[in-house]
Parts: sequence; structure tokens; C-alpha cells
Amino acid sequence: MGIEVKNLVKSFDKKIILDDISFKVDDGKILSIVGFSGSGKSTVLKLISGLLEKDSGDIITTGGDIAMVFQYSALFDSLNVFDNISFALQERKDLRGKYTRKELEKIVAEKLELVGLSGIEEKFPSELSGGMQKRVSFARAIVTEPKIILYDEPTAGLDPISSTLIEDYIVRLKNETHAASIVVTHQMSTIRRTADSVLMLYNGHAVFQGTPEELCREETPYTRQFVEAAIDGPMKMN
Amino acid sequence: MRVYYKATYTYKIYRSLESEFRNFVSTLGEIVAYGIEFLRGLRDFPTTFTEIMNQSSRFAISSLPITLSIVGMTSIIVAMQVAGEMVKQGGGNYVGMLISILMVREEAVIMSGFAIISMIGSSLASEIATMKVTEQIDAISVLHVNPVHYLFTPRVVAGTIMMPIVVVIASAVGILGGAIASNIVSGLSYKAFFDSVWFGLNMHDLNVCIMKSVAFGFVITLISCSCGMAARDGAKGVGIATTKAVVWSFVAIVILDLIFAAAFFY
Repeated sequence: MGIEVKNLVKSFDKKIILDDISFKVDDGKILSIVGFSGSGKSTVLKLISGLLEKDSGDIITTGGDIAMVFQYSALFDSLNVFDNISFALQERKDLRGKYTRKELEKIVAEKLELVGLSGIEEKFPSELSGGMQKRVSFARAIVTEPKIILYDEPTAGLDPISSTLIEDYIVRLKNETHAASIVVTHQMSTIRRTADSVLMLYNGHAVFQGTPEELCREETPYTRQFVEAAIDGPMKMN
Repeated sequence: MRVYYKATYTYKIYRSLESEFRNFVSTLGEIVAYGIEFLRGLRDFPTTFTEIMNQSSRFAISSLPITLSIVGMTSIIVAMQVAGEMVKQGGGNYVGMLISILMVREEAVIMSGFAIISMIGSSLASEIATMKVTEQIDAISVLHVNPVHYLFTPRVVAGTIMMPIVVVIASAVGILGGAIASNIVSGLSYKAFFDSVWFGLNMHDLNVCIMKSVAFGFVITLISCSCGMAARDGAKGVGIATTKAVVWSFVAIVILDLIFAAAFFY
């Protein structure tokens, strides 16, 4: 079992953002969460990662680290790539002083190789393209060998080719780490290329749960509207 | 049936005052909460000597020229206005004492405080606020590092250590500036000026000056980091956090100054 969410409820200022959401992601599987902007997708990730407190419900995980890749990478712009990736190993209370400089260099080089960016340790985030920043943030996320990886719109703001590359790395990291992954996305290409299962949220409710094939095949008004990107349908933009 | 009342101007004023009061209480609460969290983190001292030195050099190198210019010029202005008059009235032997007491007890520390707030406090607040709105603080939390401990410790420690150093140098520059101005304006000799410095100035003044500057350094950096950390709502939030840091730091050091004056010179 990777992660199981049961009857999750979250509200902000009396407005219910997530209402009784339940899902499960096994180790080595990827769940895509889709839905309109403001439907609570990123809130699910923040609740799982502990950045927000839930109102009620259960979040059960296998234990081990939970890593998160942020929408705009969130690399520390005052640190170079080496210090960004090794940040947790250098600064975390339980890991501080555990690794020598040589060991850190080896770990960082391995992680950079995994995301296809060897040899950029000394560069600063401002010297990298959006796609490269995203891949460095992948490397930073997996440095502590997490059991769960959360991706918040990993292809946002990237060109189609960089998006495809990022999608490939999401699958590659899943295979390498065997972690349970959740990918919040708006893009059908990301769903098709990465997801084992899909959860669609609308107005705080789960309106669809199934495989990517079922999402494309199913004839419910919600799935039709999403797949066809139609303005008319049961889901209204706020 | 709902009855709607037109809001009177009195009511609108009351509501805006209420909103300001709520903001005041919430900011004060945030600063206190972050302060407690920072102090809790000091047990593990989650920073390195190198990082403290980096922050200290930022503190000293970027703020010292402006601080010394402000304090030096203030001293020259005061000397230009009082030295000539005092010499005419036969009080030339007290000009050095007056300028040095003014510098060490008040001007150097408060003017340095204002300069540090404008240059360092605003920079700390906007730096941390930018990290907050670009999710870098969230990234630190997700990596299981306490952002308050990680970000506050080197900055607040550096501020607390460097502020007295800046103030001592500023006091010396202020007294020197006063001596030069007095000599040019009223022909007061340097010997007469410096002989009178120790008439009224004693170790108690220097001790209080250093204690006050330690307190100022701590409070300015803590408030600035806290306001940055509490930022929200994108670019606008960064601006609000920076303004808040500057205003709150100004008010805080003036209140502290009053407390020190009442405690040690009243």
C-alpha cells in the first residue's frame, strides 16, 4: 500500500474545498488528479504533504518520506544546483552531518544523472531553463529516497517537447523508486502518458475515478466535457 | 424580509479602525509566535559559522557606508548649530561632552537602527516574502527542515552580533565628525573637544549603548524575518510584508529606546 485517503474534508473560511474525498494509490503506481482550477487538486497534495491540516478524514501512508515537486519548481534561488539537491541531506535535523562532502557529491551526481542533467552542480536556478529547473526539482525531491512523490502541475508553463520529457521522467522515477505518485495536471497528454488511474474533482467532490482509458471512454457529462474541453456542460467555471 | 441599512461614515470609520486593530493584533501575534519558534530552534543551533559570516558581511558591508554617512552628517549638523553658540557663551569646553553624549546615548544607535531597517530589514523581509510566495518556504517544510529555524537563525544571530559593531563604529565617526565641524565652525581646538568628551561620557553610557544596539539588532531582524514569513498573495504580499517590516521595526526601536532611556537614565 502506498497511500490511502479516506473521507478527506477541507474547508477555508467556511467554504468547503474538499468534501469526502477517498482514493488509494499503490506503490509503483501513478494517480492523476484532474479538474478545473480551484477544484481542490493542489489542496489534496498539500494535505498529504503536511503543508495544510485536514478538517477530517484519514491519510494513511506506508511511512517513509513524502516528496513534493512544486508547480514552478520552487528551487532555492540563492543556492546552486548542488546545494538545492543536497539541501535535505545537509539541513535536516536527523541527517545533518551524516554525509561527507564526497558522499554528497556522489549522491547529487547520481540524482542528476537520473534526470539527465549531469555536470550542472555549480549552476544557479536562474541559469537554467524552465524544463531543467523542473528536472532539478525532481532530483531534489528524490534525494531522500521517498516512498511517495507528489507532483503539482509538473508540465505547467513548459513547451510540448519539454512537457513530454518531463512526463517520461515521471514514469522513469516511478520505475526507479517504486514510489506511489500523485500527479496534479490539466493536460490529457500527461494523463495518457503517465497515469495508472485518474481522479476528477469538481466543486470539492470526486466526479470520476477510473483508468485513463475509462476517462476517455466513459460517457458521463463530466468526463465528456473534460476530455472534449467543452465550455458547455455540468462543470461551470467560477 | 431583510432590512438593509446604509452604513454611516461613523460606522465606516469604526469598521476601518477595527480592521486596523485586528491587523495589529494578528501581526503582533505572528511576530511573537515566530520569535518563540526561533528561540526554540536555538537549542540545536541550526546554522553554520559560514552562513552567519555571510549574513554578517551583508549586514556590515552593505549598511556601513550609509549608516556612517547618516550618523556622521547628523553629528556635523548638530555641531554646526550648537558649537558656535556654546563657544560664544563660554561653554566651548562642553561641546565635546554634549556631542559625545548625544552620539553614544542616542543618535548613533537610533540613526544606525533607522539605516539598518531601511537597508537590511527591508531586504530580509522582501527576500523571505519572495521565498514564501514562490513556494520555496513550502519546499523547505516538505523537505522536513523547519523554515523558521533555517532562515531566522543566521539572520537574527548576525543582526544581533553586528548591530553593536556598527553602532560603535558609527558613534566614533559621529564624535569625529562633531569635532571636525566644531573646529571649522567655531575654531574649537581638537584638544579642547576631546578633553571634554570624557566629562560626561562614562562606561555606563557605552554599556547601555551596546545593550541597546544588541536589542535593536535582535528586534529589527526578528520583525523583518517574521513579516517576510507571514507574507501571502503574490507580489502585492511581498510589498505589504516589506512595508510592514519597516514600519513595525521603526516603531519597535523607538519604544525600546524609550524603555532604555527610562530604565537607565531616568
